[in-house]
Amino acid sequence: MTWWRRAFPLELAEEGHFSRREFARFLAVVSAGFTAGIGYLWLRKKPLEGGSDPEPGHHETPVALGLASDLQPGQSRLFKFRDEHDACILIRTPKGELRAYRQTCTHLGCAVRFRGERLECPCHEGFFEVDRGFPVQGPPSRPLGGITLETRPDGTLWAVGELPKPTDLPERVATACPREARTEVTS
Amino acid sequence: MSLPSRPRQGHFTEAALGITLLVLVIQLYLFETVLQSVLDGHRTLLAGAFIASLALTVVALVLAFKAPCLDDDPGA
Ligand code: FES
Repeated sequence: MTWWRRAFPLELAEEGHFSRREFARFLAVVSAGFTAGIGYLWLRKKPLEGGSDPEPGHHETPVALGLASDLQPGQSRLFKFRDEHDACILIRTPKGELRAYRQTCTHLGCAVRFRGERLECPCHEGFFEVDRGFPVQGPPSRPLGGITLETRPDGTLWAVGELPKPTDLPERVATACPREARTEVTS
Repeated sequence: MSLPSRPRQGHFTEAALGITLLVLVIQLYLFETVLQSVLDGHRTLLAGAFIASLALTVVALVLAFKAPCLDDDPGA
């Protein structure tokens, strides 16, 4: 008799009889769960968390981001767009262009930050290029959600909406930052 | 110590169990693909994926709950 049987002298009629059929029933119920999940995705009209499809008929409220001239190349500023949970990041690229993205990493949702010439996710070392938010290194496979910016005549910058999801990987990005080319860090 | 043996209600053949496992692997792959495409903003796949997934679930459920004794007593 094994030690744990002596320590827990419980005898159940069911013990030791987890049949193949019971296991198969468990698998079938899990399979039904996947079907229910797909059905839920099909019926759900609202975009998933992290998805950036705007709801039809949704009107964005512009958000003031201060003076465009305040941000120097390489600098960034955080802001909230739709609500207090919608964290976004405004950056001025090293080339001097203004871009804004959702801060939510498309891998597992950590907050990305601006480091040098790329947006970096510290959780699993995912990197995104700054021009269109495409992933260039690490686990993320989808681009960051982009925010449309507008500079008004008085020089103020506004976040006015969501950019459509980019689908084509520009040649320049594909060659300059191949996803598979990992940066070797040597100490 | 002998435990009272439970009445056996028919057992699964290895083939039936293998099919059920295969169904689950396909379901997992299908769900992952669908989720990825929904996050990418493509919803066209959903109807077909749901029908395929439903068919697979029906197969798994029929095998698990309704299949008659597929072998008699493998343990005996
Ligand atoms: S959460 Fe960003 S790389 Fe994993």
